[in-house]
Amino acid sequence: MARRRPPYRELTAIAGIVGAFVVVLLLVDSAYYRLILTLVVIWATLGLAWNMLSGYGGLISFGHAAFFGLGAYTVTLAMVKLDITPWLGIPMGVVVGMVAGLLVGLPTFRLRGHYFGLAMLAYPLAMLYVFEWLGYQEVTLPMKREQPAAWMQFSDPRVHALLGLGLMVLALLASLAVERSRFGRALRAIKQNEAAAEAAGIDTWRWKMPAMVLSAGFAAAAGGLYAVVLLIVTPPTVFGVLVSAQALIVCLFGGVGTLWGPVIGAAILVPLAEILHGELGSVVPGIQGVVYGLAIIGIILLAPEGIFWRLRDRFFARAPEVPKLAPAPDPPVALARPHHELLVLEGVSRAFGGLRAIDNVSLAVEEGTVHGIIGPNGAGKTTLFNVINGFLQPDSGTIRFDGRDIVGLRPNRICRAGIGRTFQIVRAFPRMTVLENVTTGAYVATPDDREAERLALWAIDRVGLSRREAGQMAAGLTMRQLRLLELARAVAARPRLLLLDEILAGLGHAELEEVVEAIRRIARGGTTVLIIEHTMHAMVRLADRLTVLDHGALIADGPPAEVTRDAAVIEAYLGRKWVQRAADRVA
Amino acid sequence: MLVRVGLRNVLTALAVAAVMASTFTAPPVAAQPKDVKVAVIAPLSGPWARQGKLMQMGAEMAIDEINDSGGIKALGGARLKLILADAGDSAEKAKNAAQRILAQEPDLVGGTGAWLSSFTLAVTEITERAGVPMLTLSYSDAITERGFHYVFQTSPTGGTQAKVALPTLLQLAEKATGKKPKTVGIIMDNTAAPVSFAKPMREGGLQALGLELVVDEVFTPPLADATALVQKVRRARPELMLLLPTNVPDDKLILEKFNEFKLGQGRVPLIANGAHIGSPELLKNVGPELLEGLMFIVANWGVKGQEAIIERFKKRTGEPWITQDSMTAYGDMWILKEALERAGVADSRKVAEAMRSLDLKDGPAALAFPGGVKFEANGRRAGAHLVIVQWQKGQAVTVYPTELALAPPIWPKQQP
Repeated sequence: MARRRPPYRELTAIAGIVGAFVVVLLLVDSAYYRLILTLVVIWATLGLAWNMLSGYGGLISFGHAAFFGLGAYTVTLAMVKLDITPWLGIPMGVVVGMVAGLLVGLPTFRLRGHYFGLAMLAYPLAMLYVFEWLGYQEVTLPMKREQPAAWMQFSDPRVHALLGLGLMVLALLASLAVERSRFGRALRAIKQNEAAAEAAGIDTWRWKMPAMVLSAGFAAAAGGLYAVVLLIVTPPTVFGVLVSAQALIVCLFGGVGTLWGPVIGAAILVPLAEILHGELGSVVPGIQGVVYGLAIIGIILLAPEGIFWRLRDRFFARAPEVPKLAPAPDPPVALARPHHELLVLEGVSRAFGGLRAIDNVSLAVEEGTVHGIIGPNGAGKTTLFNVINGFLQPDSGTIRFDGRDIVGLRPNRICRAGIGRTFQIVRAFPRMTVLENVTTGAYVATPDDREAERLALWAIDRVGLSRREAGQMAAGLTMRQLRLLELARAVAARPRLLLLDEILAGLGHAELEEVVEAIRRIARGGTTVLIIEHTMHAMVRLADRLTVLDHGALIADGPPAEVTRDAAVIEAYLGRKWVQRAADRVA
Repeated sequence: MLVRVGLRNVLTALAVAAVMASTFTAPPVAAQPKDVKVAVIAPLSGPWARQGKLMQMGAEMAIDEINDSGGIKALGGARLKLILADAGDSAEKAKNAAQRILAQEPDLVGGTGAWLSSFTLAVTEITERAGVPMLTLSYSDAITERGFHYVFQTSPTGGTQAKVALPTLLQLAEKATGKKPKTVGIIMDNTAAPVSFAKPMREGGLQALGLELVVDEVFTPPLADATALVQKVRRARPELMLLLPTNVPDDKLILEKFNEFKLGQGRVPLIANGAHIGSPELLKNVGPELLEGLMFIVANWGVKGQEAIIERFKKRTGEPWITQDSMTAYGDMWILKEALERAGVADSRKVAEAMRSLDLKDGPAALAFPGGVKFEANGRRAGAHLVIVQWQKGQAVTVYPTELALAPPIWPKQQP
């Protein structure tokens, strides 16, 4: 939540972590335990880096070893070949990592879901071979007996632990900043539903790329410090699958999509693995891997979203606060220019293989009206919307919005141009509150986060949701609330044209009245509405004008009273025999 | 049977037990000096666990022999105690293991490890700073190029091996067949060891020896099918074939294909590198027929003069023969013993100092390392040379150096 108060609670927790770590570090007198503490913070940093992209953004990366390894090799080779101290080498590694993140992101973001994850898996494996081919199978950081501190070689290994701690705190603060900002919410929106995010005007590409670059930078920093601590770098130790897996495991174990998860995961798993290895490794070699695996399986079964979420849901579940903010004022009601055609489709067709989903449809939506599109199931209504808002490209025809050709624009661009939409299947972001959901929709209208929240509150009022409802998690909402949420999210961007896709479907009578009333209020506020329904009943009362589609083709267009008497419409809806009956009744 | 035991009886029994325990476990200090701790840091889990296990066997045998023959005499007959640490499957784990035993056993005087070069490099970063001498059988040149004072490399380094291996082989071939080979082929994978082994050969090494490289094939393991590789060998018919894969399945595929193409059993002399080619596992997997005649180059193997050691080892462990791993770990323990005798104190730095001045020509340590034990300033064993081993009738026997060979090499006459 972008509450305006500084994140006291989180900063206190970070200070607590730092304090606890330093106390433990001072208490343990064994170099071995200090080494383990150092590894905890390094792996936690890698986990945090992974979390920035994959935890918040949901783009699961199996390849963070690529950045980790580049960081490690940059530090090592800078020291071996160029005599550059790791104090400079690590920042250099970060730059290399970030550039790699950019280069990796450019082609890989074209892929979605599992394909993205699998493609990411390939990068570190490729680099592993490249570095072997280059002849860097085993590179050691030379021991500096003169001025070791200038080369990050301290006789007291606690300094390494503190350096790692500093790096982890930086990663925590960066994660906190991401989590609390528009950046974080955009990423979470992308994670939960990339299509909905895109339709809500979020330029998914623009947010994914900085997330990748930031994430890569921190992963490289962790790798650089790892090289300094381990003092030897080999391709399998820094580019190996186990490194990528470690990033993933500490996050999944501790909790994905929260800055505490990787810290919890690393703080438990790294010492656990090491203790098992130390205690069992020389007694029953290999058993430590089995026990470790069982521990992970057990936790994942008991807490599928990670320890953090489990504990939070159990002990710290609290009603999310709704900020005390004044909603944004109503926009001035722009006087609709009479008979101004806001949206004009000419000869638009779209086929899927042999099926002509939309066939040569021409249509004009006048500003200030509620324009209904009806038709039986499979008439091509949703396809028409998808073509208008940019999810699909028309095979032929033109679409002009307020005189501007919008064919070929990405959905988020079309949203920015002033066309909002809802979905037939509600696409809410379940792990966000109603207000947060709606706020993602308002980002298009303003660069200011606070203003976006005020717009969201305005939209929530406008659709008739209460302030209490605004604080609820979307996961637990009723169908009515979900429909209103969708409506509010689309309205929050203050679109000039609103596309509503079967927003009334599946609602009971009382609920339907409420949603219809909300749509009327929106229309009165000056927003032009284009609405799809397949039930004629509500539409006749709501729409100023009706267009009827059947098998992709336009069969009628006009005022509701006229259209409902049209023989072709009745036939399409009810069958041939009803045409005669309707004619009789008119007579 | 149920016996009712009173509290008094229990207490009495406990008291008696305590007195007895203290008499047995804490004898007067003068009678029995404190154990001296030595370490084996080796992979005991993960893909290299077998090699670590072999090292452990060798070290345990040496320690039993040392303790049974009166322990460290200079320390009043102190017994050696083996501290085992699992180096696992990564450099990080190896380093953690070293750090752990140094923390838990601050009076450690030295050790051997960690088999894989990259593990050894990581482990010795720790032991160097702690001033604990580490012996190693790893090949990497880098181990003794870092200016470290507490690492002792008993094997000839990878660089040395690459330099001397081929001339040695050519010498052997010439001796056996009466003529020097003119053509050579290489089949290798692209992992660290073969790459560094073959590099100097390709970069002028072969030319200098008057050899023409007629087959040069590099593959990325695992190998799916060796047909194309071996076909090239059949066409070119090199007089000497270097075979440098690094895992058993690839070894097997290639050897089977050589046999299928009637190139096996030494019709084209095959030379491999590394101890894995001589492991009993390979024999089990591939069978003696395919292996017959295959030679390989290692840093240490059972040689003439070690018969007694080999016999004891076979009897003790049930292994079919002794490998480099066991023999080296065995010798390393004896080196530590000799250094302790000279240092006269169980202090790691003093022991390291004594190791630097060792010059052993006989005794079990010198026996385990043909050529004797004497370290150069950088920690490399002086005069460490190669051993060439050949598979003969299901046994991997040393055939070179001649004075140490357990059997003469079989060098088949090339068929026209």
